[in-house]
Amino acid sequence: MPTARERLTIRGNLGADSFLPWVARHAARLGLDGEIRHADAERVDIDVRGPADLIDAMEMGCLLGPIDVWVDAIERSSDPEWR
Amino acid sequence: MPVVTLRDWIPVALSADLPAATVIPAHTPSGILALWRSANGELATLADRCPHRGMRLSYGFVRGEALSCIYHGWSYGQNGQCRRIPAHPDLTPPAAIKAASYPTEERNGVIWIALGEPKAPPPALEGFKPLRSITLEVDAKLISATGDVRTRLAGVDVLLLIVGISGSETVAHLMVDAAATESDCVTVSRAAEGWRRECEQLGVKELAS
Amino acid sequence: MTIGHHAMIDQWYPVALASQLPPEGRTTQLMGTAIRVLPGDPVRVVTGDGRDLRVTLRYGHVWTSLGEPSKDLFDIPEADQPGRRLVEVGVVRVRCSPLRAVENFLDIAHFPFVHTDILGAEPHTEVGKYDVEIREKEDEVWATKVQFYQPQAAKSATGGITTDYMYRVPAPTSTVLYKTCPARPGEWDVITLFVQPLTEELCDVWPWMALFDDETALTDLIHFQQMIFLQDRSILENQIPRLLPLDPGREIPTRADLTSVAYRRWLKRHQFTYGAQLVAQ
Repeated sequence: MPTARERLTIRGNLGADSFLPWVARHAARLGLDGEIRHADAERVDIDVRGPADLIDAMEMGCLLGPIDVWVDAIERSSDPEWR
Repeated sequence: MPVVTLRDWIPVALSADLPAATVIPAHTPSGILALWRSANGELATLADRCPHRGMRLSYGFVRGEALSCIYHGWSYGQNGQCRRIPAHPDLTPPAAIKAASYPTEERNGVIWIALGEPKAPPPALEGFKPLRSITLEVDAKLISATGDVRTRLAGVDVLLLIVGISGSETVAHLMVDAAATESDCVTVSRAAEGWRRECEQLGVKELAS
Repeated sequence: MTIGHHAMIDQWYPVALASQLPPEGRTTQLMGTAIRVLPGDPVRVVTGDGRDLRVTLRYGHVWTSLGEPSKDLFDIPEADQPGRRLVEVGVVRVRCSPLRAVENFLDIAHFPFVHTDILGAEPHTEVGKYDVEIREKEDEVWATKVQFYQPQAAKSATGGITTDYMYRVPAPTSTVLYKTCPARPGEWDVITLFVQPLTEELCDVWPWMALFDDETALTDLIHFQQMIFLQDRSILENQIPRLLPLDPGREIPTRADLTSVAYRRWLKRHQFTYGAQLVAQ
């Protein structure tokens, strides 16, 4: 499976302290390379690189996240500024 | 002679009770692990929880050199690394997706698992050969403070490797004198039933007191 | 997690088969509260301290609530369609969280492994993309355009077919499956799981079906569904942890698990947490 690069834009009530470490841990469990590009209480952008099926899995995990966070939606774009 | 228990290693099964291409739950004082033998005879032990959705791997199946989870067929190699995810057949699972693995060795017909980093191989238990494993409904502490029992059953020297698996359950792996005959083994096995009943009576007395 | 328990208290749950109530009634429990289901006109459900609970009879089952449901029990229009056979499968007790019973029912990737050569078979294990939404108006989870190749998808099927599915969750512990009907192309067979939570780790599962099938004997229809469910039970009773994790921090959901993720999000949003684990352990 070829490597893809995507930006996941996560929107919701994301202000809990637990969220960013949770996101980093989940990406690591999937063996994905990634960087957090933007983070505030309502939006987190992560650029990830890896097989497409694992980026899908990252989206699945982040749709839930830790209990004190609510994710409304995740947009995906395959043309991030990050190279 | 110090009896077995360095306790770097825990005896979990007899080799004869784990044929090729099978998986069984291995009972240790810290919980259950998934112990399996590949088609080629290689032993491995993995945490009894599939990283996908938590199904016990000890309920899975062995195919070739991999252990597959019964729920969605995720397959693992002997080092615990996920090799295949059937719902996503084109994906090569990353090294990060793995079940914890534990050192496993068999010696003289007994299979041992190490929960940490063992400093030496498991004991050879020379002079004995494995006979059978017995489960007893009793706390291991009531059977033996030191962990193993040297005694004679039906006139034959035996060594029982004692593993407490809960406050009320114990597994004993029964070894007999290596020189014991077939017919000795039969009588020892029968005598072991009596031994089990005696041990379980200790438990009953303990509860009543 | 008291607030969450209150949220699930005002829901409807199945507690008996109306046609199988013995004269002395059925003694059971609902989320830790002892209740008795008493036959009569009307059927009553009472608690240990003599309180009468709300009761409704639907789909062959007696439904009750420990609280005050704000709406009627969800509708399944196919139940009233002429020509359908309505099949009460009968209760199966499972030592698992009621939420896990629902989640397992929503899953298809397990068909080739748990229901081998019936609902699925290797090498047809790939799960394609499908659609999932939370329908805001009805407040229900729906998965549509689900497809899976099956060697013997229903008692009325004579060979392997690619089966179309839709999944629906209209209540926290009830789920409805719509699948290709071999006997009447264009119609859906309906198979449901109505789950009665006894405790957070114990439930009674009441499968029910509304099928177009004039050939198969009733007992065979029941046995087929029971067999499938008993295969699932051995999974349900051996998943760790027992409670349904709402935080997947120790799991790896993939795209094939999309319906399960949507179900867990819906539970989380409504604080339907009886039977759920909030922090991944």
